[in-house]
Amino acid sequence: MQLIWDEIRKAVPMILHGNPTLFTVIGFTLQVAVVATAVATVIGLPIGLAIGLGRFRGRQFVRVLANVSLAIPPVLVGVFLFVLFSPQAPLGSLHLIYTRRVVFVAQSILALPFIVALTSAAVQGLPPGLLNQARLLGAGRLQVGTLALREARIGVMAAVIAALGVSLSEVAAVVILGGNIYDYNQTLASATLYEVNGGFYADAVAIAIVLIVLILILMCGLGVLQHQGNGLRLRFRSAT
Amino acid sequence: MGYLWDQLSGAIPLIAHGDPYIMGLLWVTIRVAFVSTAAALVVGLPIGLALGLGRFRGRRALQLLANASLALPSVVVGIGVLLFLLPQGTFGSLRIEFTLTAVYIAQAVLALPYIVALTPAAIQGLPPGLLDQARALGAGRIQLAVFALREAKIGVMAAVIAALGATVAEVGAVVIVGGNFQGSDETLASALLEQFNYTSHNPYASAIAIVLLVVVLVLIGTLTVIQQRTGAVQFRFRTG
Repeated sequence: MQLIWDEIRKAVPMILHGNPTLFTVIGFTLQVAVVATAVATVIGLPIGLAIGLGRFRGRQFVRVLANVSLAIPPVLVGVFLFVLFSPQAPLGSLHLIYTRRVVFVAQSILALPFIVALTSAAVQGLPPGLLNQARLLGAGRLQVGTLALREARIGVMAAVIAALGVSLSEVAAVVILGGNIYDYNQTLASATLYEVNGGFYADAVAIAIVLIVLILILMCGLGVLQHQGNGLRLRFRSAT
Repeated sequence: MGYLWDQLSGAIPLIAHGDPYIMGLLWVTIRVAFVSTAAALVVGLPIGLALGLGRFRGRRALQLLANASLALPSVVVGIGVLLFLLPQGTFGSLRIEFTLTAVYIAQAVLALPYIVALTPAAIQGLPPGLLDQARALGAGRIQLAVFALREAKIGVMAAVIAALGATVAEVGAVVIVGGNFQGSDETLASALLEQFNYTSHNPYASAIAIVLLVVVLVLIGTLTVIQQRTGAVQFRFRTG
């Protein structure tokens, strides 16, 4: 335990005294997490609602596909995007490889399955009578979608938190596409990797501590939601 | 499209002829996945059973903790394990830092939350009367645990597949504790990080990506078949 305490003792002052490099990394990581989750939510919410509410042929298959997409390793997503964005490739003219922008792009794509799959699961979990009643009362598609979103908001917020968590802790795609360039496009997770490779264990521990604090904040958010969710679910049950 | 085709056409002969480097990576990946998942099972299954069946104070808090540990970022686990294994660390005298053994340990730590969190979920999903009946008929603790395990075997299998998926796809901890040494403790996923990081991408990178994709698809396929056949609780697994 001695070594761990030593490194933590060196790491804590770095955090408290606002080491500028560390703060660049924190700032960039938060920016990436928020922007990527926002982009994924804007794109994924309509898709998730359509998959969850739609009554089209093959919807069962599409739902399985959405769940499967959660399990695709980020390292493979990184490789695929690298091949797609490399200079000679179809999207090479965007000049994205080894930039800050590509980190936003990669994390948005990785966050998307969480929003799509978990939103669709959340609306499918609503009491079946509820939406049929709305449909019967003449609600259009858009109105049913809005109603489902409002009723399933706890599940949707849990999806958003899951997406934030991935953006914070994902390391593979960020390193492959961004190149893990010091003081430029490192996130907390990729910076930890970088510092360990260089043998700067105290710096790595400092970054890891910040990362775990952010994850804990998210977990608390999820805990609060679940607490509220229990009450909500009970009310649903009594209503139907 | 010509460019993407070039990437693929270089990769296929490598896989078809069983290139020794790629087969070596596959072998290491399979060993890491099975050894660390088995270790996680040996440690995690009794804990999971105790959380699922036990009626002691603080059980809910412990279960919350188990769920929260699913969100541990892999780089944080990596640096934590490494600090124990470095020569100055608690287990430094074992001299296993930057070896395959270290990778086994880190991946077992990462696989543990899947077993510990998903086993109680599977047990709690059993029909409520079932276990009470067994208790009323005089089953002892061990008998009850064996019975619960047999009844919840689908859920436990899903947890095992989730753990296998996580250990196959994960890179952060593997690179940190293993040092990513070619031919000794590189996995398919961590080799991809290397291939794209320091050299221009080459047929090897595409071949490794394809083999990894096949491994993950086999796991996902197994999970989907199990779920479809039983219509049981939907288990999703995330990788990374």
